Amino acid sequence: MIDVRSLTKAYSDLTRGEVLALSQLTFSAKAGQVYGLLGPNGAGKTTALRILSTVLQPTSGTAIIGGFDCVTQPEMVRHQIGFISANTAVYDRMTAWEMVEYFGRLYGLDDDELRERMELLFERLQMQEIRDLLGAKMSTGMKQKVSIARAIVHDPPVLIFDEATTGLDVLVARALLDTVAELRDQGKCILFSTHIMREAERLCDRVAIMHRGHILAEGTLDELRDQHAERDLEELFFQLIRREMVST
Amino acid sequence: MNWRNIRLIYAREIRDQLRDRRTLFMIAVLPMLLYPLLGMSVFQLSQFVRKSEPVILIIGAEQLQAEHTLPPLFENGKFAANLMADPKLADWLHLEFAPNENAATPPSVPSAKKPHAHASGGEDAESARDAVLIAAEERLKTGDVQVVLHFPADFGHRLRELHAQIKARAEGGHEQAARLPPVDIPRPQLTSNSSKEKSAIANMQVEQVLDAWRSQIGRENLLASEIPANVVRPFDLQPHDIAERRQQQALMWSKILPFVLIIWALTGAFYPAVDLCAGEKERGTLETLLSSPAARIEIVWGKLLTVMTFSTATALLNLASLGMTARYVMTQLSAMPRVDLAEGMQLPPIPSLLWLVAALLPMSAFFSALCLACAAFARSTKEGQYYLIPLFLVSMPLMMLPLQPGIELNLGNSLVPIMGVVLLVMSLVQSNYAEALRYFVPVCAVTLVCCHLAIRWAVYQFNQESVLFRESERLDPKRWLVHLVRDRQDTPTLAQAFFCVTLIYVIQFFVQIAVSAHVPAVPDFRFLTLVLFISQVVCIALPALLMAIILTGRPRQSLLLVRVPRLITCMVAVSLAVLLHPLGLQLATWIRELYPVQHEVQSDLEGFTQLLQTAPYAWLPYVIMAVLPAFCEELAFRGFVLSGLRHIGSKWWAIGLSAVFFGMAHGLAQQSLAAAIVGLAIGYIAVQTGSIVPCMLFHMTYNGLMFATQLWPQALQQHPGLTNVVYEPSPGQILYTWPLMLLCGGLAAVLFAWLKRLPYQATREEQISDARSRQSLQAFAPVASEPAKSQLS
Repeated sequence: MIDVRSLTKAYSDLTRGEVLALSQLTFSAKAGQVYGLLGPNGAGKTTALRILSTVLQPTSGTAIIGGFDCVTQPEMVRHQIGFISANTAVYDRMTAWEMVEYFGRLYGLDDDELRERMELLFERLQMQEIRDLLGAKMSTGMKQKVSIARAIVHDPPVLIFDEATTGLDVLVARALLDTVAELRDQGKCILFSTHIMREAERLCDRVAIMHRGHILAEGTLDELRDQHAERDLEELFFQLIRREMVST
Repeated sequence: MNWRNIRLIYAREIRDQLRDRRTLFMIAVLPMLLYPLLGMSVFQLSQFVRKSEPVILIIGAEQLQAEHTLPPLFENGKFAANLMADPKLADWLHLEFAPNENAATPPSVPSAKKPHAHASGGEDAESARDAVLIAAEERLKTGDVQVVLHFPADFGHRLRELHAQIKARAEGGHEQAARLPPVDIPRPQLTSNSSKEKSAIANMQVEQVLDAWRSQIGRENLLASEIPANVVRPFDLQPHDIAERRQQQALMWSKILPFVLIIWALTGAFYPAVDLCAGEKERGTLETLLSSPAARIEIVWGKLLTVMTFSTATALLNLASLGMTARYVMTQLSAMPRVDLAEGMQLPPIPSLLWLVAALLPMSAFFSALCLACAAFARSTKEGQYYLIPLFLVSMPLMMLPLQPGIELNLGNSLVPIMGVVLLVMSLVQSNYAEALRYFVPVCAVTLVCCHLAIRWAVYQFNQESVLFRESERLDPKRWLVHLVRDRQDTPTLAQAFFCVTLIYVIQFFVQIAVSAHVPAVPDFRFLTLVLFISQVVCIALPALLMAIILTGRPRQSLLLVRVPRLITCMVAVSLAVLLHPLGLQLATWIRELYPVQHEVQSDLEGFTQLLQTAPYAWLPYVIMAVLPAFCEELAFRGFVLSGLRHIGSKWWAIGLSAVFFGMAHGLAQQSLAAAIVGLAIGYIAVQTGSIVPCMLFHMTYNGLMFATQLWPQALQQHPGLTNVVYEPSPGQILYTWPLMLLCGGLAAVLFAWLKRLPYQATREEQISDARSRQSLQAFAPVASEPAKSQLS
């Protein structure tokens, strides 16, 4: 479903000149799989996911989602994905229902189909009580629910979660992880970026550990543990980062 | 472009804005409150103005009361009503009388026999008079009085004496009268303080009164001299204004309404634009929208239509509120003395309003797109609001200039954005349909092009990740300059292309001023050569060359100097120039017929041509008129500028823009139009061949033929057989016959078709843009599947 090949993103910085935010990133994820991008802040996770959501363009390399190229077929790609990030906020002056309905219509759903779909989602995500609440009056958890509903209203085959649990309390974070797991079970291909190891351990089928724009290690959790002879993911992560920092 | 998405985005944005109290306040509440409040203030102010009557201090008036032979200047402590154009003004000017300190002393008749014993008494009187004037001036400075009118002590007496002399002459006592010394009438002094407006106005009124009084005295003196009054005023004018009341009103509205409307169209566009772009960035919802299936252009159109709606609504609401308030205030003011404005402030006629609304829509679209692009560039609403002032600063002169007397709709003005629309609307409101129709096409074309460019710019901004995810940078000019050189790209960026064009225009402007100041009394060929060299090499080629060397990694590629063109390509370019030459001549003639060149400019051009013919060698004018521009202008406009513009992502837009910039570099509007059209052809050759050489050859051939044509009238006289090919419609002008032109047009089309088949080298942006436009719309169908739904439920 997701095929990323040699994805590179450089940007120009006034002080440092050309800076590589991503360097030759290569990975692929399949349907029914949660692919985790693990890395500290500034590792390039958000840049990679923004490229996949077609908000950014890569400097070189390709990213194919559902058979469509992120650079040359961005509108087709956006039909295939649902994107949830700490940067994708909800509208303050729209109610939860209006917001999800708006995006549903943008995705091209017809009235009956959309209504049916929204009723299901609002029920499933327990959003009935915030149905007519304006975004400005919602708590962080409520907003996150609306974001999820907005991202899956068109039932996309690919979902991208970029540090989606940031700022959520334990209860809401757990509910979100449950939702992700459920979506995976439905056959969705999920790209999940986080810097919280427990989330990765709980959800991810495969992970890529990123640092300074490139992948340090990639594979299933068991493969990584075996390769690096370390059972604890967090410790493994620290070792890889430390080794990388020493070598550079 | 999916209009369904645009409609959805538009509906959402409108609802969003209507839920925003600030926007609603700005759009609807402010106009409703602002003008009544302003009107109330004006009303209060007018009451205040009415109460604060100017005080005129009159010194030495008592002597005039005693002179019964003089027409009365004062009546009941006021100026005589018959001296005033508006008798109400007599009540408005408040007079305060003060005696001349030396009034008590007998009028001194200047005479050689004046006893010296009176000298000390005269000095006392003089110092007393000075003291009175000094005290009066002090009061003038403090604003206690607005004007001081001082009649010298023997002023009245001298006027009577003059009258008596005139009468004596008329009664036959010429010899006796001739023995009398000529009467020297001392001048009354009118003192005011021009730094205070109230004093200046009062001074003007008093001057008018004194003029009228002086005329009355003059008439009475003429009567006394038995000379007919028409000796000094042989005739009077009979004013006759053929303008109807409706036309007078139209003229007034044509000055006010476009200005008010456009100011509010800009203001009304700005705040929603900032909220819809910078505001969304701040609130984090822009990324949500960007990751939705809506294309960038659909997002921009949705937002643009929203901003346009608010811009139009703000302008119309303000206009309605202003009109109603002004009408009410003027009706009230009409009841007051010396205010007669109510008649002129009737509602404008319906056709005027319709023309205004018709003009409002494109202006509103233009401002909306401009504001949207500026707002998209801003990181925050605060930063967005900073951009309002520069927008106003640029737009205001373009709105204000047409209101100046003497500015008329002509080709040059019609090509200026905003200004052309204002002038066109003014013509339409004044029912000058013939004039308006003549310039309708250029004004609409320029406005539509500007609208389209502004929209493209807004879309471009929405496609720029550096704009959408711009981060704060420390202001450091040194680092920025280092960055420009260190991180330079292979070819110029879009911004560098625009900067190059601006730089060329700015240098041209300053060089033009410098050259004008140094034109010799009799310019010669050498001077002309120097001017042309500077205008081509220094103004055009040098900026482009330097920018290419300093700011790009591959200067030769930037100037299209890498590819070696094939011989056939060069031959096609030269052939195209030859084939397009007849059409170019015809086009230039049409342009001149439609938009005649001013007489002075025409004579300058003729002088220029004559000067070229004084060249020491026959080939030299071709070098400076054809070869030099071909090298310099092509390096700049098809080299650096076009290379930068191609990062837009559309070769057609790059060609079009470079042609417009190329045209604008030619000083004369008529030349600019023709040059811009030729620029399209050269731009196409540049893109298709990827080399500057064919462009230079085309330019050289085309200019050379154009120059040579000026010499053909002589050839035509020597070889009458040529009339099968060319003819001379007017002296000195050459045109090709229609069959030949059609043939040339057809052959040129064949050569363009050949050029089209050349594999041109697309830029990365053009490749992406092309690939994106090929995305299948069928694939936009919803992807929700039945199994997925059942699982979710």
